[in-house]
Amino acid sequence: MSIVVDSVSKNFGDFVALDDVSLNVRDGSLTALLGPSGGGKSTLLRVIAGLEVPDSGKVLIAGSDATNTPPQRRNVGFVFQHYAAFKHMTVAKNVAFGLTIRKRPKEEVESRVDELLKLVHLDGFAHRYPSQLSGGQRQRMALARALAVQPRVLLLDEPFGALDATVRKELRAWLRRLHDEVHVTTVFVTHDQEEAMEVAEQIVVLNHGKIEQTGSPKELYERPSNEFVMGFIGPISELSGRQVRPHDVEILLEPADGSAEAMIDRVLHLGFEVRVELTLGDGEKTWVQTTKSRAEELELVDGAIVWLRPNEPADAPVPA
Amino acid sequence: MISKYGLRIVALGYLALLLGIPVALIFINAFQDGIGAAWDAVTTPEAQHAFYLTFVMVIVAVPLNTIFGVLCALAIVRQRFRGRWLLNALVDLPFAVSPVVVGLALILVYGRRDGWVGQWFADQGIQIIFSTPGMILATMFVSLPFVVREVIPVLREIGTEQEQAAATLGAGGLQTFFRVTLPAIRWGVAYGVVLTTARALGEFGAVSVVSGKLSGQTETATLYVENRYQRFDETGAYAASVVLALLALVTLLAMNVIKPKEAKEAKA
Repeated sequence: MSIVVDSVSKNFGDFVALDDVSLNVRDGSLTALLGPSGGGKSTLLRVIAGLEVPDSGKVLIAGSDATNTPPQRRNVGFVFQHYAAFKHMTVAKNVAFGLTIRKRPKEEVESRVDELLKLVHLDGFAHRYPSQLSGGQRQRMALARALAVQPRVLLLDEPFGALDATVRKELRAWLRRLHDEVHVTTVFVTHDQEEAMEVAEQIVVLNHGKIEQTGSPKELYERPSNEFVMGFIGPISELSGRQVRPHDVEILLEPADGSAEAMIDRVLHLGFEVRVELTLGDGEKTWVQTTKSRAEELELVDGAIVWLRPNEPADAPVPA
Repeated sequence: MISKYGLRIVALGYLALLLGIPVALIFINAFQDGIGAAWDAVTTPEAQHAFYLTFVMVIVAVPLNTIFGVLCALAIVRQRFRGRWLLNALVDLPFAVSPVVVGLALILVYGRRDGWVGQWFADQGIQIIFSTPGMILATMFVSLPFVVREVIPVLREIGTEQEQAAATLGAGGLQTFFRVTLPAIRWGVAYGVVLTTARALGEFGAVSVVSGKLSGQTETATLYVENRYQRFDETGAYAASVVLALLALVTLLAMNVIKPKEAKEAKA
């Protein structure tokens, strides 16, 4: 189901969490709310879930106004960063919770729970307690619990934030595949741009309670609408007062039009990637990303003098 | 090594002097004339009535204070309202105020002649002071804070996420409370109930003031112990004390017996 957020504002005392935010989430899409902490992304997600009531503005789910609908009747699935597992219930009881509340027949509950546990690869864990699961398993249980009631939209608040790096990577890929299988409209919050780029079809960048830009990962990376988005969505380096992606800088051994002279401080070999740290003529430090073969071809060594030239002027940020 | 054993000796020695030895002496003194004499002393009609009355105190005060305690803890932890700090502070009042003062205060409110609402109750044919209702009120007052104080930290610790998760899954307020919140705080509640029970069993001062101490009528077990002791019936006093001590012990043990079992289930 589609989600429409229409001019929503929300303050907590003096703190402006959301400032006139409007957003469209297409039916069946996978959207990331990306931004630094305190940027308003979690508040926006909680407003969509009904866990926070906006001071002004509207929320429409599947076309109908849900602004004043309590969370119980919104039929949204919500997954919390710290799992919010019901610790006194087994995995099966956790997953069955929403169905038990809806007083579904016992056989239906059991078969649905079995089906979901298979979906999240937790079959065989039905009679364990959450305390006996790893973080990744708990989060998959929480996901199954949210999906059990066949929600109209699935909302995930920093779902992988409390997990270690390896598990996080695994679960990202897995969430993507799950979305391909289940097709439920999904919105997740993250502060990790790599996670957003890898998982989402649409990214919404939020900062200081406002939406900075909305677009596909490719659009945001290639055409950031301002310096904040440019800086948040990928690495940047300064070159003659301009911000460019470090891999969009060409290293030349001879001066050329629009090039700047620089001295190599250090060449870092990181496998396929080679990172070159330099000092420009005006004393500014910068860095450039290149490949192993290119660095070998140019015979880059510490202390050498080179010329730097941004190679695709179209990549420069368009002033907002 | 020295500090390790030193700590244990201090802790155990302190407990032995303050608690272990005196309680042991009560047991010894209770049975100095034989088990038969002790049994006879606690089965006289007065003694039986005293234990019955103590039982009434517990059976009324503990459930009411448990329900109030849980609701009060929920209000203090989960809600934001003016005067919340005042409620939080007032709950501790029974800890701070001497039970004797509590008894006198109850007389001022419910006393038959001069009490604030005592005359009205008397007109309805209800006697509160020098009768069971007053003693129950006194017991409730002194045992009020325990459930609240045990439940508040547990509620804070579990946070609101489980409750919010239940809400998004369709559970209403009462369903969330009975299926999620209450099971999550059950050990806090259980410990609060144990402490409340122990306090209600042992209450002396406040009940003493409002009871009138009519033997066989308004005498709880603790008042009965004092009564026997004043009348130089040492066996009676010590034997009743032993029963009170055993009841408290059973309450504490009951909790420790249930708890590990539950923890084991969670691990299995």
